Amino acid sequence: MEIRSYADYLRALDDAAFIAIFSYRPDLITPVPPDIASLAVRASSAPSLARAVEALNKWQLQVLEACAVMNEPFTEKEIASVTEKSALFVLPGLIERGLIYQDKDGLRVPSTLREVLGNEIAGLGPASLGTLKLKKLEEAPDAAKKVLDAMFWGPPRGAISDLKKPSAGVQWLLDEKFLIAFNQQTVVMPREVALYLRGNKVHRQLEYVQPSVTGTARDLRNVQLAAISNITTFLRWTEEVLNFWAQEPATALRSGGLGVRELKELSAHLGVDETCAAFVAEVSYLAGLLTIDPDDKILPTHQFDIWLTQSVSVRWQSLASAWYISSRMSGLVGKEGQKNVAPLGPELDRSMAAATRRLVLQLLNENSAIAPDLDSLHQSAQWLAPSKRSGGLQLDYVTWTLREAEWLGITGQGVISAYGIDFLQGGDNESINSDLPQPVDHILIQSDNTAIAPGPLEHEVAQDLALIADVESRGGATVYRFSESSIRRGLDHGRTGEEITKFLAKTSKTPMPQPLEYLIVDVAKKHGKLRVGNTASFIRCEDSALITQIMGDKRLEILGLRKIAPEVLICGHDAAEAMNVLRSCGYLPAAEDSRGLLLSGPRIQRAQSKARPPRIIGEIDRPDEIHIQGALRALRTGEKSSRKQSTMRNIATEALGSLPRTTANETLELLSDYLQNQPSTSLSIGYADNNGLVSHRIIDPLKLAAGSLVARDHATGEVQTFRIARITGVAAL
Amino acid sequence: MSDGPLIVQSDKTLLLDVDHILSTECRRAIAPFAELERSPEHIHTYRLTNLGLWNARAAGHDAELVIDTLIKYSRYAVPHSLLVDVAETMSRYGRLRLEADPVHGLILATTDVGVLEEVIRAKKIAPLLGIRIDNETIAVHPSQRGQIKQSLLRLGWPAEDFAGYVDGQAHEIALKQDGWKIRQYQEHAAEGFWHGGSGVVVLPCGAGKTIVGAAAMAHAKATTLILVTNTIAARQWRSELLKRTTLNDDEIGEYSGSKKEIRPVTIATYQVMTKKKNGVYAHLDLFDTHDWGLIIYDEVHLLPAPIFRFTADIQSRRRLGLTATLVREDGMEGEVFSLIGPKRFDVPWKEIEAQGYIAPAECIEVRVNLTEAERLAYATAEPEERYRYCATTRTKRNVVEEIVAHHANEQILVIGQYLDQLDDLSETLGVPVIKGETSQKERERLFAAFRTGEITCLVVSKVANFSVDLPEATIAIQVSGAFGSRQEEAQRLGRILRPKADGRGAIFYSVVSRDTIDQDFAQNRQRFLAEQGYSYRIIDADDIFQGKF
Repeated sequence: MEIRSYADYLRALDDAAFIAIFSYRPDLITPVPPDIASLAVRASSAPSLARAVEALNKWQLQVLEACAVMNEPFTEKEIASVTEKSALFVLPGLIERGLIYQDKDGLRVPSTLREVLGNEIAGLGPASLGTLKLKKLEEAPDAAKKVLDAMFWGPPRGAISDLKKPSAGVQWLLDEKFLIAFNQQTVVMPREVALYLRGNKVHRQLEYVQPSVTGTARDLRNVQLAAISNITTFLRWTEEVLNFWAQEPATALRSGGLGVRELKELSAHLGVDETCAAFVAEVSYLAGLLTIDPDDKILPTHQFDIWLTQSVSVRWQSLASAWYISSRMSGLVGKEGQKNVAPLGPELDRSMAAATRRLVLQLLNENSAIAPDLDSLHQSAQWLAPSKRSGGLQLDYVTWTLREAEWLGITGQGVISAYGIDFLQGGDNESINSDLPQPVDHILIQSDNTAIAPGPLEHEVAQDLALIADVESRGGATVYRFSESSIRRGLDHGRTGEEITKFLAKTSKTPMPQPLEYLIVDVAKKHGKLRVGNTASFIRCEDSALITQIMGDKRLEILGLRKIAPEVLICGHDAAEAMNVLRSCGYLPAAEDSRGLLLSGPRIQRAQSKARPPRIIGEIDRPDEIHIQGALRALRTGEKSSRKQSTMRNIATEALGSLPRTTANETLELLSDYLQNQPSTSLSIGYADNNGLVSHRIIDPLKLAAGSLVARDHATGEVQTFRIARITGVAAL
Repeated sequence: MSDGPLIVQSDKTLLLDVDHILSTECRRAIAPFAELERSPEHIHTYRLTNLGLWNARAAGHDAELVIDTLIKYSRYAVPHSLLVDVAETMSRYGRLRLEADPVHGLILATTDVGVLEEVIRAKKIAPLLGIRIDNETIAVHPSQRGQIKQSLLRLGWPAEDFAGYVDGQAHEIALKQDGWKIRQYQEHAAEGFWHGGSGVVVLPCGAGKTIVGAAAMAHAKATTLILVTNTIAARQWRSELLKRTTLNDDEIGEYSGSKKEIRPVTIATYQVMTKKKNGVYAHLDLFDTHDWGLIIYDEVHLLPAPIFRFTADIQSRRRLGLTATLVREDGMEGEVFSLIGPKRFDVPWKEIEAQGYIAPAECIEVRVNLTEAERLAYATAEPEERYRYCATTRTKRNVVEEIVAHHANEQILVIGQYLDQLDDLSETLGVPVIKGETSQKERERLFAAFRTGEITCLVVSKVANFSVDLPEATIAIQVSGAFGSRQEEAQRLGRILRPKADGRGAIFYSVVSRDTIDQDFAQNRQRFLAEQGYSYRIIDADDIFQGKF
C-alpha cells in the first residue's frame, strides 16, 4: 500500500514542509491537486520525480541512489555507512524535496523513483530472492574470483556462451547463487553480492565536492573594454541584419527557417561566419524584432522601430534577456556531422538550453576573475547538473553558451563583464550608455571616393549615408565608398543630386573632393532619363492637333488619359474599352497589336480561360450482368463478416458488464494491492483500444512501471504492457 | 578609453589618423606587420593579411608585439576575435623549417609532428620530398626549395628558410659617392633587404630604385644578374651603375636580343630570357651557368610566369625585387612572396614627395564632350570596339594641341595606347613618335635628344610606360590606355616624378571622353594614385579652349 503510506506521510506534514516541497517542486501545484491523495499520486509519478531528480547535484544524486538500493525501511545511519558521513547533511534536503519519506518503520523512497533513476542503479543488479552465505565469497576459487572482479563494480550483467555449459568459475557462482541465470546467454549478480564485494559501499568514488573551475586570469580593464566592444558590435550586427532584410526580405523555407543560401548571403553581408550570422538572426527573432510573415517573407517588425529609438542599454538588455530564457539553441545550425538545421526554423528547441545557460553564467559569475577553461567549466557544470535522461550536460551546449555570451558582451575575453554581472542580478545596466564610445556626427571625405566616420556615427547620419554610399569596412569606425551605383541608390530613394552634395558638405569635416562632386552631378544628370511604367493601353495619332482635342474632350475624362509625348496618350483602361468610349464620342479609332500591325475588322472575342465543360447529370445506364454479379458477391461477404464481429462484440460486452468501472488512481491502487498481497492471482480487466473500444482481457500482472502495467495476457500468452489510464476496471477471477 | 591614432576594424583593416600627434610613431610601429593599402589625405588604411603577419614573423617580430602595438595605439577596444586570429596566424609560421643538413642536404624539420604529417600527405607536396629521416625531419630535393616553399604557403603552413644562401663568386663592388649621397630611405631599403636575405622593395617611380639595387650589390660584393623589362632599361641601369658604383665599363655586360655578353654584372631583359627556341627556353641557362651572388628583378610586378618557375629553382641565391606598384592584376602577390621574398620596405608616395625626392605632381582629368555625330557612332559601335572608339575621338586631338601649346616651354610626353591615334597626334603636333616598331637606335637617339632639350615634346606608346628615365619631363598627357589598369596609370605618372632642377612640380593630364566607358575606366585607373593621396582635379575641355587651366 505504498501510495497510501506516502499519502499518509504527506498528510502528517506541517505547513513549512509543504512550502519547502512546493518551492523545490513547483509542478506539484500547477495545477493545484484536489486533495492530498492526488498530490501523493502526482508527487510519486515518474515525470514529477524525474524533474525533481534533475535539479539535484552530483553528491545529492549519489546519496539518493544509495537510498534507492537499500532495503526498505532504512535508516540515516545505514545510508551514511554505505556512502560517507556527510551524507547526513544531504538527507534532510532530499526529504524536503519529497524524494525520501519517513513512515513509522523508517525511511522509504517512492517506488517509482527506482524506475526514474534507471534500471541498474549505481551498477547494481536486482536483490537476491533467497538468503546468501556471503562469507563464502572469501573462499571462492580463483576462476570464480576473476568473474566476480569483472562484475562487482557493474554493470551487473555478464555474457556467457551457453548456460548449459558454463565455465568452472561461473558454475561455482551459480551453484552458490552468487550469480543468477537471466537467460541462456546472460547471468546477473545480485545486489547483495556486489555490495559485499564493494565493501558495503554503493559508489566506487564519492563526488561530494564540486570540481573547481580553473582558467586564465585577465586584466579586468581589458575585459570591460572587450565587453563593450562586443556589445556595440552585436547591436550593430542586429541593426544590419534587420536593415538588410528590410530592403530585400529573405524567403523562409517551406519547412520553416532560413535556407543555406540566404544564410550565406547574410554572413557575407555582415562579414562574420555563418554560425555567428545565424545567432544574430535568432536573437533578433527571439526578441521579436523580426518575424516570418504568412507569405514566408522574413521581415523586421514594428518592434524593431521602437527598439531603434531606445537607449543602448535597453536595446542590449532586451536581446540578452530574450537569449537567456530561450529554449532554442542556435549553435545547432551548421553543426558538423549532422543534418542541416535551419536558423529561425522549428528544429532548434532543446529542453536543456535555458538550464545550460543559467548554469554556465552562474559559474562564470562565481569565477568572475578568470576566463574559465572549457573542460573545467564543463566538469563543474556537470557536477551541478549530473542527472540526466538526456545523457548529461553536453559539452557542445557549454561551448556554444560561452561563445554566444562573448558575442553578446556578457563576457569580454572570456571573463564575465560588469554588464554580465549586472544582467544576472537583474540590473538595468545603465552604465553601458556612458561607457560606450561617444557617437560622432561627422565624416571625413577623401579623394579616393571614400568617407570615414571615425567612431560610431549618429543614427540618422548613418542611415542617410548608408543610402548614398556602400559600407566597405566596419568596426570602431566605418569606411564608406561612393560609387556610381551607390549614388544612384540615393537618387532612387528620392534624394536629388543637390541634396546629396549639401548633406555631404554639411556632414564632412574635410572639403569635398572635386571628383566626388562631379560623380554626383554626373549620376544625377543621367538618373531618370529613361522612364518606365505600366499602362493598359495607348492612343497614338500622327496628328498632334487631334491628340490635343482628345485631351480636351470632357466626355473622355472617364478614360483617365495622360499625355506622355505630343503624339501619344496612355490610358488606364483596356484597349477594347477605350475604343468603345472613343467610338461612342464620335472618334474613329482602329486597333493595333503589339507589333504595330493594324487589326482590321471588329475583333471576334475568345475566352481567356481554359474550357471546362459542365458535368453530365442524368439517367444511369442499365448495368450489365458482370457488374451485378460482382456487386452481389461483395455484399454477401460484407454481411457475413459483420455478423461474426457483432457476435464477438456481444461476448466481450457480457464479460465487461460484470467489471466495476474504476478511475485511474483507483486502478493503480488496486493493481499495486494485488501485486503486493496476492502476486499470483489472475485478473480480469477491461482495456480500451486506440478508438475507445473496450475489450475484455484476462491477465497475470507482473509489475507496475511508469504509468503502465506489465502483465501476461492469457489470450496471446505474451507479456504485454497496458497503460493504466486505459484500464477501465479490475477484478480478480 | 585611450585616444590613440589607430582604429582597428573587425575586417582586419587598420585606419590610421595621419593628423594625430602619434601618427608617425604609430606608423613605424605597425609597418612591420601591416600592409599599407591606401594613403589618401586624412586616414590611411592598413590591412592585416596572412602574408603580412608571416612577413613580420620572418623579420623577427612575434605575435605578442603585434597585439601589444594594436592595443597600445588603438582608439577603441580591439575586437578580441581579431587578436586571437592574429596570434593563431602568426603561430603557423615557422612550425616548419627548411634547413641545410650536412648529410641529407636540404631537410624539412618541425617540432610539431602533426603539422608535418598533414603537409606530407598533401598531393602537391609529396613529390617534392625525399626519404623520411626521423619522426620530425624529412629530406627535400634541393632543387625543390622554391617549389616547396610556394606549396607550403598555399597550404597555410609557410616554412621558415634557414638553409641560407650561397655567396656566389665574389666581386668587389662599392658605391662611389662623389657629388651625390645615398638617401636615407634608400639606405634603409637596402639594409632591410640585406638583413632579410631576400625580398621586395617598394618605392615610388622616380625615387631611385636603381640606387637601392646598387647599394644591395655593394652589400653583396658578388657577381650580380639584373633582370629588367627592356633594352632601354638595361642601358639605363648600365649608365647608372657606371655613375654610382666603382664598376667599370668592362665589368657590366648586356644580355639582350642584340648582345649576349656575360660579365660579372650582367643585365638581361625579361624578353630574351623568355624567348623560346624549338619549344624550349634557350636562355634560362643564364641563371645556372654562372655562380651569381645576387639576382635583381626590376619591376617585379611584371615578372613573367616562366621566370617565376625558374626562380623557384634558384632559392639558394639572394634575390631582390624592385617595384613601385606591387599590385599584380593577375593576383600573383603570393608567388612574389614565396619565390622572391617578403616585402622588406614600403613607404607612401606622399612621404617621399614631402622629403623632396620626387616632384610634387598635380593630376588633372580633362573631360571632353563627344560631338553629336561621335555620340551616335559610339552608341552604335560594337561592344569590343567601344573603348577604342571613345578613347581615340578626334576631339581629344584638339585638347592635346591646346595643352601642348599652353606648356610650350616645358618637356612634354604624350602617352597613348592606339598607334593610329599616336601617328595622328605626332603629325598634328609636328613631333616624333616612339612605338614598338621604332628601332632601338632611333629610340635612344630620340630619348637622348629629349633629355638634352633638343626636342621638347614626344609622342610615345606603351613602350615608354616604365623604366624610361626622362628626368626633365614635367608634363604628361595621357590620351588612352590599357583599359582600367591602375598600375599603368601609376607608372605613367612615374615618368614625370623625377625631381626637377628648379623644383617645379609636374602635371599629369588624363584626357577622357565624358559619359563613355572611357570615363569608367579612368575612374578605375585613378584608384591606385588616389589611394596614394593624389587628388585628381576635373576640368572641362571647353575651359581649356578658353585658356582656363
